[in-house]
Amino acid sequence: MQNLTIQATVDFNEVFSTKHGAIYQSDAENCWYIDFAGKLARFDYRNILKLKKAVYQIDIEDLLLNGANSPDLEILFICACDHCYVLSLVQIIALKELLQGTFVMLELNHIIQDRLYRLIG
Amino acid sequence: MKDILRVKCLLSADVEALINQQIKKEAHSSAIYLSMASWCNRNGYDFSGDYFFKQAEEERMHQLKFFKYVLDMGGNAVSPEITNVKAEYNSFREVFEEALDQEISVTQSIKNIAARCYKEQDFVTLEFLNWFFKEQREEEYKARRALELFEVIGEEGTGRWQIDKHVGQITYDSEA
Repeated sequence: MQNLTIQATVDFNEVFSTKHGAIYQSDAENCWYIDFAGKLARFDYRNILKLKKAVYQIDIEDLLLNGANSPDLEILFICACDHCYVLSLVQIIALKELLQGTFVMLELNHIIQDRLYRLIG
Repeated sequence: MKDILRVKCLLSADVEALINQQIKKEAHSSAIYLSMASWCNRNGYDFSGDYFFKQAEEERMHQLKFFKYVLDMGGNAVSPEITNVKAEYNSFREVFEEALDQEISVTQSIKNIAARCYKEQDFVTLEFLNWFFKEQREEEYKARRALELFEVIGEEGTGRWQIDKHVGQITYDSEA
């Protein structure tokens, strides 16, 4: 696992943030940086979709209701990705919220690009 | 801000998910036809057995067509897990009734994708789907005609033997 430092020259756009974390997009690198659980991790197109799938697949309700005997931890391991997350239930909910917001914003950005720039430009 | 998702993939997440569902449906369909071929063969309906073998191959071909489309457009095509394939049928006629049901359900499912594409104005996928709509015309026609043989010929006496002989001869050649 590596911790990345942000270079001053890298141009970041904040896509979405909550009080628990934030996701930034780098146009130059075609990727996203996720600032969450105390680290900044880089995700490319394939990996962020895999992370989204992994987080969305966690059955939070089941963990809450039937998880009495299991530790309150989930390990999120993404295939062919440098990062993994070990998260508590509260953090999972926070990460899910962050990702949901991010994908709504990306969708919105897509609509704006389609309607404004691609038509006129 | 750059629209990276769109740059990487032509399909929206929803359409991609629907097509992946369709891939699974076609695979399931192919497995069911294979099962029908097995049943017909076991029970002495040779021509119908061959007919369903051919249908199984066609459904597999449809599955791959969807599969490659998703990949070509930059999406993620998922190889599906197939369960719940019926192996036994109560009668010769039941096999054909279920075959028609199967085709109707496939047509409906493709219509559902097209409806979503209209909503999103995804005309590229719509155009791709047109081939399938034409194909479904043929598939439903063949399944319906096969089932009608049971009415026209009747199952009494050597009826089933006659029906079996005629199943393989059903063709659809409308160019409309």
